[in-house]
Amino acid sequence: MIVSILEMGTILGIMALGVYLSFRVLDLPDLTCDGSFALGGAITVASLLSGVPVIWCIVLGALGGALAGFATGMIHTRLKVNSLLAGILVMTMIYSINLRIMNGPNLPVPRVSSNQEIQSFEDMSGGTKLDDLFSDFGEMKVSTKSDIKVNDNIFNNDKNGSDLFLIMIITAGIIIILSVFLRTDIGMAVRAFGSNKNAVQSFGISKNVLAVLGLVIGNFLVGLSGSLFSLYSGFADVQMGQSMIVTGLAAVMLGEIILSKVNIIYGLLAPIVGGILYQLLLSLAIKYGYRIGLLASDMKLLTALFIIAVIGISLVTQKDGKRKFKKGVKKIWSNSKA
Amino acid sequence: MVKLKGINVIFNKGTENEKIALDKISLTINEGDFVTIVGSNGAGKSTMLKVILGEVFPDTGIYMIDDSVMNGTNSYKLAKFIGRVYQDPNSGVFPKLTIKENLILAGKKGMRYLGFSKIPEFGVELLTNLGIGLEKRLNTKAGHLSGGQKQSLAMVMSIISRPRLLLLDEHTASLDPKSADNIMELTKRINREYGITIMMITHNMEFASKYGNRFIKLSEGTISEDTIRNHADAS
Repeated sequence: MIVSILEMGTILGIMALGVYLSFRVLDLPDLTCDGSFALGGAITVASLLSGVPVIWCIVLGALGGALAGFATGMIHTRLKVNSLLAGILVMTMIYSINLRIMNGPNLPVPRVSSNQEIQSFEDMSGGTKLDDLFSDFGEMKVSTKSDIKVNDNIFNNDKNGSDLFLIMIITAGIIIILSVFLRTDIGMAVRAFGSNKNAVQSFGISKNVLAVLGLVIGNFLVGLSGSLFSLYSGFADVQMGQSMIVTGLAAVMLGEIILSKVNIIYGLLAPIVGGILYQLLLSLAIKYGYRIGLLASDMKLLTALFIIAVIGISLVTQKDGKRKFKKGVKKIWSNSKA
Repeated sequence: MVKLKGINVIFNKGTENEKIALDKISLTINEGDFVTIVGSNGAGKSTMLKVILGEVFPDTGIYMIDDSVMNGTNSYKLAKFIGRVYQDPNSGVFPKLTIKENLILAGKKGMRYLGFSKIPEFGVELLTNLGIGLEKRLNTKAGHLSGGQKQSLAMVMSIISRPRLLLLDEHTASLDPKSADNIMELTKRINREYGITIMMITHNMEFASKYGNRFIKLSEGTISEDTIRNHADAS
């Protein structure tokens, strides 16, 4: 169980890293994430079924996310639309685009290699015949084309740590590249944009270019995460990006609570740590939550409540808030004594 | 160096709230000038600076730098020639970046690419000349500095890439008197030692009379007074 929590948590952490870039580094709230996550997954699975090598499928999925970020960035900067609304518009468009890409609401990732010709439902889903309620599924093929060539998935779901190792390598690579990038001249300008949007213009840098660039990189990561999520989970679904932004924000905030030190490396690690922690809490809630009457479907409510609680707590712990809070506590204390 | 010819700027044109912010302003600023601009609120001081910065485009008239017409040029492109410092000390620096990163960022003109720039020596030299010890705190985040220190850093950042013109919009207004005096002395040195042309808006009449070799007063969008002072008269 712990291996799959780490695996799924790290994949979600990559998505949270994208959210961290737009919300924290760029300071530009972006809701494209819900769309670009599903887009990354849809492109990856659809291209895998078309016979594209799996590595390229992942790259295409991530680039799909980047394209979504570019669209949001252009709508925001060129048409002067609020970044939140621009993200919602792009997210809505992506829903229809995903249905087109997958030619339906979802697509399974076939667990086959190019040598196999027939794929049974059990092979595809990884289940057993008992899971298969309808006997005719036993002879179902992935496609009517008999010459279909599907390449191996990068994940084997063996829970022996090999998937985790691969995910960790990918994540470490991303963090190293991002931490170097954010220290380059252009990366520094992106951070400067998030720190003081109007002042970047004073130093001869177009703030529009920086906004678009930041959104492209952020959504590239979200698309990549969606792509890995699909390959890992064995499906792409048009709904799979729903409220990802909330999950991403929760992961970022959880990570920031754990790694409160402010520097580039800690900042980039926080969403990953937060993603794992979020997944752990999610698993615990699913496994033991029923004892206190929680359902798996309550998680969205709990996640959003968690974000509101973190924002509330951070306000209280700020200097001014702390003072008011202490004053309030003292008042209550003295009243109770009286 | 900077020429404004018949500049008209009208806000909310054609509506009930139509306001003529600049009314056929014509002005020539020469290289090396230190111009102080005064005027009541709404006189058009900031609008004039915004026209020069490319943040407001004039409705009519011509704006030139060195005989090149600049009407319609984007503000980030004009930033190659012009440095600027505003009233709010937070507006001129990047609070989440360290002093070192602020200097590196300000040390270059134009778009950035994938590369690593070193901290500009001229920036460190300017910081050292300030004499407030910022050169020893290069890894401190700019957001942790006091208002006066931030404004000093903003001044250094605005001239580090050696612009032709420095625009100051009430840059001492939010500082305590001592910090304001220090910043004004720095402003004078920037003009004298580095030969950078300065246009300074101020509400402080003491500063307006003490500093600069040219005094301009704006009222209701027009120039009501334009006096050239002898260098000997001004500090």
